[in-house]
Amino acid sequence: MRTLLTVAAFAAGVSALGTEVQAQECTTKIGATLPTSVDWGRPIAEVAQFAVDQVNEAGGAAGCQIEMVLRDTQVDPKVGVDAAKALVDLEGVNVLLGAVSSGVSMPILTSVTVPGGVMQMSCCSSSTAFTKLSEDGKTNGLWFRTFATTAVQSAMGAKVATDKGYKKVAVLYKNDDWGQDMARLIAADFAAAGIEVTSSVAINDAQPSYRAEVTEAIGGQPDALYLALYPNEGTSAVREWLSLGGTQNMILANSLKSDEFRDNVGLQYLGNALGTDTASPRVASADAFKAAYVEKFGSEPNGPGLANSFDAAMIALLAMEAAGKDASGADIAAAVAKVTDPSGTPITADTAGFSTAKDTLAGGGTVKYQGATGDVRFDANGDVSAPAVVWKFTDSGTEEVEYLSLTDVDAFIASLKK
Amino acid sequence: MIQHLVDGILVGSFLSLGAIGLTMVMHILRFANFSHAELLSIGAYCALVFDKLFESLLPVLSAKIGPLSMTGALSLSILISMVVTGLSAVLIDNLVFRRVRQKGGELSMVFASFGMSLVIRNVIGLIFGLSSELYSRDIAFAMVLSRDPLLLVKPDQVFVLIAALLIMFVLYLVFSRTTFGFALRAIAENPSLAQVHGVNLKQMIVAVWIIGGALGALAGVFYGLSYQITPVMGRDLVLPIFAATIVGGIGSVYGAVLGGFIVGIASNIALVVLPSGYSPSVPFLMILLVLLIRPNGLFGEARA
Repeated sequence: MRTLLTVAAFAAGVSALGTEVQAQECTTKIGATLPTSVDWGRPIAEVAQFAVDQVNEAGGAAGCQIEMVLRDTQVDPKVGVDAAKALVDLEGVNVLLGAVSSGVSMPILTSVTVPGGVMQMSCCSSSTAFTKLSEDGKTNGLWFRTFATTAVQSAMGAKVATDKGYKKVAVLYKNDDWGQDMARLIAADFAAAGIEVTSSVAINDAQPSYRAEVTEAIGGQPDALYLALYPNEGTSAVREWLSLGGTQNMILANSLKSDEFRDNVGLQYLGNALGTDTASPRVASADAFKAAYVEKFGSEPNGPGLANSFDAAMIALLAMEAAGKDASGADIAAAVAKVTDPSGTPITADTAGFSTAKDTLAGGGTVKYQGATGDVRFDANGDVSAPAVVWKFTDSGTEEVEYLSLTDVDAFIASLKK
Repeated sequence: MIQHLVDGILVGSFLSLGAIGLTMVMHILRFANFSHAELLSIGAYCALVFDKLFESLLPVLSAKIGPLSMTGALSLSILISMVVTGLSAVLIDNLVFRRVRQKGGELSMVFASFGMSLVIRNVIGLIFGLSSELYSRDIAFAMVLSRDPLLLVKPDQVFVLIAALLIMFVLYLVFSRTTFGFALRAIAENPSLAQVHGVNLKQMIVAVWIIGGALGALAGVFYGLSYQITPVMGRDLVLPIFAATIVGGIGSVYGAVLGGFIVGIASNIALVVLPSGYSPSVPFLMILLVLLIRPNGLFGEARA
């Protein structure tokens, strides 16, 4: 077997050198719709391509080399849908990676990939609207994401409030899909934890003043404030809140994990502020990804969604391999379970791992993918859970207060649902 | 409810200042200047630069005045910023609007002003970065005026309100008591006839821009003092300021003052009835409502 692999690797190497000798004649295209025109979007696309390259080194998926056709979404739903349509209709892809924002992924899912029978795997969309859509049976099992839903984030908010013994909490949330989602979830989680939500106030961005909104929230005299805001309006709202004598007990969503927010509000007022965030798992496979990333790109994978994007691409390609040649989008989606099987053969997230997976799958076995975000396991709605951290601000940035493993997180969420 | 009313008056004070400049420009130069709110940004950032400069050169000036966030350095900077912003407005007019005015129609002016606002906003973003800035990082805590009903007011906001009212009173005196004021009003009424009577149109246009710019700068600094300074503050403020101008009636300085307060109060009170998600729509509803009842605004006059 080892010799066979070496020969295959040699052949792939030779073909890469541009000679006429080719291991494979065919190329399969997969699509990617990612916001490459924004600065944090480009690395997400690059790391997906990095996964594709490693699979191609292992001889490609389902017998063909893989070409990832990348289109920019500009974080705009219209542009994203156009891009996805072009990829599905013109390039004929059966697998689509993306998009990043839930607001872009959603219209692509409902108007392009589901009608077209294409599997869509997003690295970064966190809205629970997808869960709802899947529960209603409208995704046809074609939707997956490697990013934990906002449900993890809100459950951690409830955990912090419970641990701190807060009884009455006011919620300020950003008036967009994400913020409304968070407000709805956190209200449910607080209720489940026996905490009263005194008021839940929407904050629109680009408003000259948030005084009225803050006045509204402060009226219920809460003993803590939950913030699902972005740094810009978050700063305004929190300064207003503090100046009106609001409590300094705050629980922050991960969107406020920003130096700008800390500096402009002032560290002296944030002593009782605790943030929540999903975390990368503390497992060997995540470290291996980090090392591989540093070697390839020369920097730590610190941007948002990088590990998730890598896993999304890897799992999609593994599923293509498992589904076999000329599989439809639905076949590939159905094969995802075969490559993320908890009782399958463990494989690493690299060229060697992909080769092992090929052999195992060819022999009729199943595979347990151990990726950059840990052992990825999708639930019936294509969602994943994630470990979490509680953090606080310090002079130099943020500091971890508590780490909760995947098991802890799942256990707490389960306790809320009782 | 009382808290919302008081908040509305305080918000209204800087909307009014912005609207006075806008209404004058719209009346005399006869175009909807969508870049007017950018003058507030220019003013706020200009004051920020001079504030930091004075504080480092003369540390004595960085002491706070009474309970305010205001410092000696900042008050000096405001004066400089008013001059600089007024001159920038004249410069922008010379570079862009005057040329478009000579060749293009009213609509070209509107588009030119849209373009100008994008240019100014992005240049500010390029120079100062996109994150928000503050004159003072300390949070000025509100004074409790009454416990039941709960009424909180920040010293800074009272200062802003008083200063704004003072400036408006001075303007009123200028417009109603001086030859300059009469000349301005004459130009607005009938440019040709005013010129026949020896009013210099070019000088008057420069004066309008300087006044508009200076008031804009003041409004910008007051806004920054109450909230924060960002490159997109012009974008956030342009609609409320336009609403104030239109509600008050284009061309009426008193209307602009009143319009500013009406829009400020309405947006705040609306939260009592409307969920906060709908608050951005309030200025538009105000415009619709006033225009339905008085098509020229509260104080506006019909003109051909």
